[in-house]
Amino acid sequence: MAEDIQDKLEKYRTAPFDARFPNQNQTRNCWSNYVDYYRCQKALDAKGIDTAPCEWYKRVYKSLCPMSWVQKWDDQREEGTFPGKI
Amino acid sequence: MAHQAHAYHMVDPSPWPLTGAVAALLLTSGTAIWMHFNSLVLMTLGLVLLLLTMYQWWRDIIREGTFQGHHTPPVQKGLRYGMILFITSEVFFFLGFFWAFYHSSLAPTPELGGCWPPTGITTLDPFEVPLLNTAVLLASGVTVTWAHHSIMEGQRKQAIQSLTLTILLGFYFTFLQAMEYFEAPFTIADGVYGSTFFVATGFHGLHVIIGSTFLAVCLLRQVQFHFTSEHHFGFEAAAWYWHFVDVVWLFLYISIYWWGS
Repeated sequence: MAEDIQDKLEKYRTAPFDARFPNQNQTRNCWSNYVDYYRCQKALDAKGIDTAPCEWYKRVYKSLCPMSWVQKWDDQREEGTFPGKI
Repeated sequence: MAHQAHAYHMVDPSPWPLTGAVAALLLTSGTAIWMHFNSLVLMTLGLVLLLLTMYQWWRDIIREGTFQGHHTPPVQKGLRYGMILFITSEVFFFLGFFWAFYHSSLAPTPELGGCWPPTGITTLDPFEVPLLNTAVLLASGVTVTWAHHSIMEGQRKQAIQSLTLTILLGFYFTFLQAMEYFEAPFTIADGVYGSTFFVATGFHGLHVIIGSTFLAVCLLRQVQFHFTSEHHFGFEAAAWYWHFVDVVWLFLYISIYWWGS
């Protein structure tokens, strides 16, 4: 599995089509991957496993999300006021 | 031949539509002035004029119908249509607020945490006071039906008792809801949750107060022998309105209190 992930990450150009978010408004796509990245980090850290698979979510949200949103959410996580469940 | 050769009611000239319109103007502009320039004068004037208009206009209708016999069957039919159309317009009014609630709650935005209820909101337990409120209103629906049948059967004492009970249940609901508002862990300023909750339940509460007032007027009229077993449309209109208020609550309870928690 790890090799597949490294493979996918190496071949990564931009976020692929995600059938869960087929329409023009991709807000949910950005949000979902941002939250999934930090949830993945938290979950795998807790089990002591290598968090490399989480990198996929990070690549996707970095491709999709406006930088201001990422900045705002990072600040909120720092402050402890991030509204999402991680 | 100067008598009426039809069953309809050609109403005598009346100043109340004009005073009502002036009251509406003073209320609207007065509210705007209050919000921007901190003066309550215009709005208060509008409120007083509105109350006077309502009192005198409806008093005149009672005089025309109950004492002067102008409310023949065709006229009563028109009044029925009128009340039904009015209640229908109120249904659409509430529909708007339910639309707003579902718009925000079915697809919660990232600002809310992508979830409903939003992050940080502690909702009210639907099985505590809200459930009691549901029981109170349902019971009041039963008592108002009891009152109707009492009137139709000429049972004066029972009509007065059941109508009084209905009004008391209405007051109990209002009291309980006021307590809930006071104790709630969130306010109208708490995001879209607070907005949708208090605007929808707030307008409903206002309608409960209006309905209770309408029923109270009917009680006064019943005590003064205005209603007959065949003709008591004022009461029927009040009962329809009261059932409408009850149904709106049921939708509020299911949507906002229960599903929305």
